[in-house]
Amino acid sequence: MTTETRQPTAPLDSGFRRNDVAAPLDSRVRGNDVASARNDDMSGGNDVASARNDVASSGNGESPVAGDAILSVRGLETQFFTDEGVVRAVDGVDFDVLPGTTMGIVGESGCGKSITAKSILQIVEAPGRITNGEINYNPSGDAGSATDLLSLGANSDAMRSIRGGEISMIFQEPMTSFSGLHTFGNQIDETLRLHTNLSKQERFDLGVDWLARVGIPNPTQRMHEYPFRFSGGQLQRAMIAMAMCTNPRVLIADEPTTALDVTTQAQILDLLQRMQEENDMAILFITHDLGVISEIADDVTVMYLGKVVETGPVFSFFDEPKHPYSKALLTSIPSMFTSSRERLPSISGSIPHPQNRPMGCAFHPRCQSFMAGTCDVGEPELQSVNEEQEVSCFLYEGQ
Amino acid sequence: MAVETTENGNGSASLLDVRGLVKYFPIKRGFLRRTVGTVKAVDDISFDIREGETLSLVGESGCGKSTTARSIIRAYEPTAGEIIFKTEDGDSIDLAQLSLVEMRPFRRQMQMIFQDPFSSLNPRMNIYEIISEPLLVHGIGSSSEREDRVAELLRVVRLRPEYMRRYPHAFSGGQRQRIGIARALAVNPRLILADEPVSGLDVSVQAQVINLMMDLQDELGLTYLFVSHDLSVVKQISNRVVVMYVGRIAEIGTPEELFDSPKHPYTAALMSSVPKPHPSQRTKRYVLEGEVANPANPPTGCYFHPRCPFATDQCKVEVPPLVKSKDGRFVSCHRADEIELTVN
Ligand SMILES: Nc1ncnc2c1ncn2[C@@H]1O[C@H](COP(=O)(O)OP(=O)(O)OP(=O)(O)O)[C@@H](O)[C@H]1O
Ligand SMILES: Nc1ncnc2c1ncn2[C@@H]1O[C@H](COP(=O)(O)OP(=O)(O)OP(=O)(O)O)[C@@H](O)[C@H]1O
Ligand code: SF4
Ligand code: SF4
Ligand SMILES: [Mg+2]
Ligand SMILES: [Mg+2]
Repeated sequence: MTTETRQPTAPLDSGFRRNDVAAPLDSRVRGNDVASARNDDMSGGNDVASARNDVASSGNGESPVAGDAILSVRGLETQFFTDEGVVRAVDGVDFDVLPGTTMGIVGESGCGKSITAKSILQIVEAPGRITNGEINYNPSGDAGSATDLLSLGANSDAMRSIRGGEISMIFQEPMTSFSGLHTFGNQIDETLRLHTNLSKQERFDLGVDWLARVGIPNPTQRMHEYPFRFSGGQLQRAMIAMAMCTNPRVLIADEPTTALDVTTQAQILDLLQRMQEENDMAILFITHDLGVISEIADDVTVMYLGKVVETGPVFSFFDEPKHPYSKALLTSIPSMFTSSRERLPSISGSIPHPQNRPMGCAFHPRCQSFMAGTCDVGEPELQSVNEEQEVSCFLYEGQ
Repeated sequence: MAVETTENGNGSASLLDVRGLVKYFPIKRGFLRRTVGTVKAVDDISFDIREGETLSLVGESGCGKSTTARSIIRAYEPTAGEIIFKTEDGDSIDLAQLSLVEMRPFRRQMQMIFQDPFSSLNPRMNIYEIISEPLLVHGIGSSSEREDRVAELLRVVRLRPEYMRRYPHAFSGGQRQRIGIARALAVNPRLILADEPVSGLDVSVQAQVINLMMDLQDELGLTYLFVSHDLSVVKQISNRVVVMYVGRIAEIGTPEELFDSPKHPYTAALMSSVPKPHPSQRTKRYVLEGEVANPANPPTGCYFHPRCPFATDQCKVEVPPLVKSKDGRFVSCHRADEIELTVN
């Protein structure tokens, strides 16, 4: 039944993505389901460990890693070198994710959320390249023992074992993340084969178990089916099952519930939170749905045109948003109190493209609080405005 | 099984009348691909869409919304049922009876926005080619006219016309979704079947696209079948809403009726699960208990009975038909007129 050879997947980036994400062996399995399968042959684990030590000792001592963040992104820049010029998709992004917590990332379509996520796993497609920054990963939680994933190299064994295992990702478009040529069962089997030491039967059983956990009826039968037989939301949940089956330490979830109705979404959010409590999993949760943010996030980072414009605890974000863009976002939430056929307020002005950033503050052409001579001249920097919130806006400069 | 059609009191006003639509998928197993069962994805549903209105389909993931839309445009062969479409000349024609060749002239009048934006955009075609393809297929315009039209459509969905020579992979998820919308609009269709068209869009762009869809409707008299799980958007855009549960219709009503006073227990469960837009309210997340019904082996009687707090013995054996309730709404629940439902 199982096809052992991997056939190349057809279109463009999906092949790249699959081959890289599901890359070799991570024997450092955690969690109850797979703990018994801990690899006796420790070579994979040693690779990871030694790679990590090497990096740590080769030193990058000055990186200002926040206390016990498991993931700390600093100054991340990712650019696309297209024929028409350079697209600065991610243009200096900083944030920290603590173990057992959820960082929500919000921001307008095209502002660089997915590219930030892909940069963390180093799976940005050509002509894109990470041009600057650090991605400090600290699974042990010990001060000073963080590894800058970027220094490992995208194709290193260490990075391959982390990717899809310890740090896994739910992709925004589930259809493109699966191969149409293999059954779902074969695809989850491959992930488990690479990241655990379970037997074939155990892998199958775990696959069935995960399909059931994400609420897909008739899971045993579905293991034998091809992706096209899944509904949009079933495929999205199958993708969630794939990302969760290795018990990741860090889960990057890129719009993971866009295809789900609210009752199924509530079940999935519940499942994520239970997993988080059991395993102290950190979640980077990208969504445009502020209702979901209010349900699951501990902290929120707001991005605009490749930059972080505000970051802070979820309550502050909802109660006291600081940046004019955050405020505008919150007023355009369609609510259940909107009456039908009513037009909603939307942020005026068109979205600039990362290739032609406005001068000064990138939000200035659309900002209600625009200050001529200031906002269109200099660029505001992200800085603390109180103990909790950081904002980049001249309104708060010098506070 | 008796089919109640959703008579609308003004038959000639429906652009589309779906009657007793059924779509089963065979389940095949093993080397010989023997059929070992059927998935009853859409199991005898009837509803109509009036000219110029927006009818939304909502319901649990896997309940048959996309299958319904795809069967209407004959991307899937319906297993049974009629799909009566009113042509521009005012004739009624059953699309389910047409051969795919006979279907072609109607394809232009009906466009579908597919749920998965990326897989429905050919990665080897640039944006200009993708959006102008339906124009080319239907022989509309010269090449420079087509280019102007594509530029106009891109502006309409708030993408920059300068990028029309780019390929889909160079766009973000939400940008690709808008490319799909632009393509559907290209040939000025009369009916748009929009399967989750705004699900990947942030609130601001989403508001723009929804406002745009409503404006186009007002200007051009477009009719929409709108599939979405985002109930606030559904509430905003719809004239009427069809609530589906495991291949069947649970309830049909206006947004106000369904949101303020649902009659079917599943509708009430759905409405109560909408996340409240403030973190202080997160403690009361409502999770529908019980197993999701399996469309390959659905429960007996009312499909919702294993999860319904109001189920009686009758519900376990008797399928509730979709009937007009006392106040003129369509509900399929044995107890619709006796239970009091609230949405918190
Ligand atoms: N291959 C590419 N070539 C050129 N530009 C690209 C490429 N991939 C992405 N971009 C650009 O990078 C920017 C950021 O894209 P990204 O996918 O991160 O957006 P996003 O915030 O995830 O948006 P959405 O909410 O719509 O998914 C976009 O403006 C996009 O057009
Ligand atoms: N091509 C197919 N072959 C076999 N089964 C299918 C096929 N397409 C859909 N199904 C099954 O039919 C059922 C209904 O699927 P459909 O895609 O219509 O659901 P949906 O309501 O659109 O769900 P979602 O909200 O998750 O997109 C599901 O159980 C699905 O697995
Ligand atoms: S810096 Fe100026 S333009 Fe930018 S958000 Fe603040 S007030 Fe608005
Ligand atoms: S028919 Fe019975 S089981 Fe079904 S929704 Fe009504 S009360 Fe519940
Ligand atoms: Mg994205
Ligand atoms: Mg669907």
